[in-house]
Amino acid sequence: MKLEIKNVSKRYSRNKYGLKDFSMTIDKGILGLLGPNGAGKSTLLKMIATVSKPTEGMIILNKNNILKDANYIRKQLGFLPQDFGVYPNLNAFEFLQYIAALKGIADKEIQFKIEQLLNGLNLLDAAKKPIGSYSGGMKQRIGIAQALLNDPKIIIFDEPTVGLDPEERVRFRNLISDLAQDCIVILSSHIVSDIDTIADQVAVLKNGSLLSYSNQEKLIDRIDQKVFEVAINKEHLDNFKNNNIVISTSRKEDKIAVRYISESPIDGSVSQTANLEDAYLYLTKTN
Amino acid sequence: MKTFFSIIKYDYLHRTRSYSFLITLCISLAIAYTFVPEPDASYSTIRIADYVGYYNSAWFGYVTAIMTSIFLSLVGFYLVNSAIKTDTVTRIGQITASTRITNFRYLLSKALSNFLLLVTIVVIVFLMSILLFFLYNDGYSFDISQFIIPYLIIPIPAIFCISILAVVFEVVFTKYTVIQNIGFFFLFSYLAFPSLSENSSNMYEFDLFGTQIVMHQMEESVRNLLETGDDKGLTIGYVLGNTGETKNFKFEGVNFPISFIISRILWCVSGCLLLLLLSPIFHRFDIKQLVKKKQLFSSEKQKTTVHEIELSKLKKSTHNYGIYSLVKTELLLFIRKGKRWLWILNCIGFILLAVLPISIAHTIVLPILWFLQVHRLSDISSKEIYHDVQYFAFTSYKPLRRLLLSQLLAGIVIMLILALPLLIKSVFVMDIQSFIHIIVGAIFIVLLAITSGIVTKGKKLFEIVFFMITYGNLNKIPFLDYFGGLQHSSSYVLTLTLLTIIMAGIGVGMRIQQIKNQ
Repeated sequence: MKLEIKNVSKRYSRNKYGLKDFSMTIDKGILGLLGPNGAGKSTLLKMIATVSKPTEGMIILNKNNILKDANYIRKQLGFLPQDFGVYPNLNAFEFLQYIAALKGIADKEIQFKIEQLLNGLNLLDAAKKPIGSYSGGMKQRIGIAQALLNDPKIIIFDEPTVGLDPEERVRFRNLISDLAQDCIVILSSHIVSDIDTIADQVAVLKNGSLLSYSNQEKLIDRIDQKVFEVAINKEHLDNFKNNNIVISTSRKEDKIAVRYISESPIDGSVSQTANLEDAYLYLTKTN
Repeated sequence: MKTFFSIIKYDYLHRTRSYSFLITLCISLAIAYTFVPEPDASYSTIRIADYVGYYNSAWFGYVTAIMTSIFLSLVGFYLVNSAIKTDTVTRIGQITASTRITNFRYLLSKALSNFLLLVTIVVIVFLMSILLFFLYNDGYSFDISQFIIPYLIIPIPAIFCISILAVVFEVVFTKYTVIQNIGFFFLFSYLAFPSLSENSSNMYEFDLFGTQIVMHQMEESVRNLLETGDDKGLTIGYVLGNTGETKNFKFEGVNFPISFIISRILWCVSGCLLLLLLSPIFHRFDIKQLVKKKQLFSSEKQKTTVHEIELSKLKKSTHNYGIYSLVKTELLLFIRKGKRWLWILNCIGFILLAVLPISIAHTIVLPILWFLQVHRLSDISSKEIYHDVQYFAFTSYKPLRRLLLSQLLAGIVIMLILALPLLIKSVFVMDIQSFIHIIVGAIFIVLLAITSGIVTKGKKLFEIVFFMITYGNLNKIPFLDYFGGLQHSSSYVLTLTLLTIIMAGIGVGMRIQQIKNQ
């Protein structure tokens, strides 16, 4: 299972790109996509999911150009978009049956599987109620269920944890880890903690370009021994922010504790263990 | 006051920047072009017996003003009757509700925004009427007042009231879009028919559309010319083939009495008062109130034992690329759409088709019964976009061949099931032409819904067009008879079939582009 993205661009107008000359090869496992708003994450995912077409480049799955034969990937795709809706008058069973029919799954055999999925996502009790009456988290779980209906080999989750409570998030992470045993799972999120515990590879995007693509260790290595924490007076904070890459701030008695990245730390700074969030912010702030 | 004007301004900008509004403008222009027929055209719009007016400024100004008043009152409601609903769907309403704006000011701002939208169309038609005057110029001098005065007095107050009525319907029948659509259809029919037939001069003030006084004046002009007291049989609307032996009379406009002008203002003031009266019952986007019967499910209430998906135990899927399941769900979506009691109306229509004489059933009951499905058909091909399901639908396996076909089949099945008594009766009386015509009609109207939905990505265009067609059907306009209620030559069915095929081609072509260019 190999997905190749070759020199892909999505141009909206003459000088406006959603994605520019983007290349990447994705193998089995979990790929975490990180990037600020407008980085091009959703644009990339939509193109892989054949929802949108690139203006240039190729996307190849197992030597098949999916831009020419979209149905090749559609047969083995599970896609959870960032913003999706439901037909409010259908109940969960009916809606999933409809999606199953869209995906071309045999009608008789799908009943049991839908039941299994709804049970696994703790929706079985509400399965006969119209989806219009569901909460946001319940709808999100319906979205997860539909992505798994067709035993997908490529699974794309765009901001999947939106609306899920902390327990559901943990269960969802477990599910993704299980899925990645023999699938390509591409996971996009604003929340670094959703990705750092499970992603085998991490790609960081900004302004439609790929800033970094590696495993987490290599990414974090870039800022090893460069992360510090120091307590400063509140009135010095603005000046400090102008001269350093500040990761986060928190109140500490009458001072402000600042976590920052620097090659020449100021006096009183204490070295910290670098993590994925530090590496991500360093990359996006310095590029 | 700033909030008030901001709502009007941005609501207007939001709506005029939509693709469907652009299409509506184009259609309005095309229709306006036909308001005053070309000198050698084979149809008439306003005609008194054998007479039409000389093509002077007054004739152009008044005829186009009358036609605009009727046309925009007819379709304008459907164009603007979702101003509050849009705010509910986009959730802008909740933000608005948290500001200090009063219910009345909010409703009035929506009505004024509706009004501005319709005024934009009136201005376009107005300019077109002046252009037509110069195109068909018979050597008469151009008098701008003969254009401005009728437009100010006839269509402007009418569309103001229609703009308010659209808001009133939204406030009163908040959750019942179908009642809004069908209710207005009957209200319009009630308001329109007396205004076209009543000649009593004291009725002018009660004529919402403001057309009666002008038409009466036209009749008077012809009557004076003939020096007889006969009723001249004025025809209004598109009538084909009655243009032989046309004579002309000079029409020089109307001196509107002051009482009539005051009545036009009073119509507008009454509309505002009606909004004021209704403002206390406006829901003000209290969503709980709107969905109270549905009882929201929370995951906390449902949790008993917590489960996780065990992938190894999930049943493996097998493929079936048939469309049976899709058709089944599309039918389910049709049936679930709207309130259940609306099916009682369908049942009544179904029974009437069975028991009434075939001619009445075919010409009156069938178009009404099919029109009652307007809300089911209007989003047949745009509901994926409306409900944000397009990412699932368009990334499915062969979406065009399977999904679009299943939508078409489900729509046709519903329409034919409703027409079943008439189809059976046609077979019994060996009226095969009617039988075929009804089937072609069902396919035609479903395809019209699908194509309109694909082209505009919305449902408004179809709602407006279907309304106009049905109105034309009930007035027995031959070229709008898509279901064969009137007598036609056999080539008519062929023409309709050809039109249906062309429409299918446009719909499929546009959907292919839509899927490609997402």
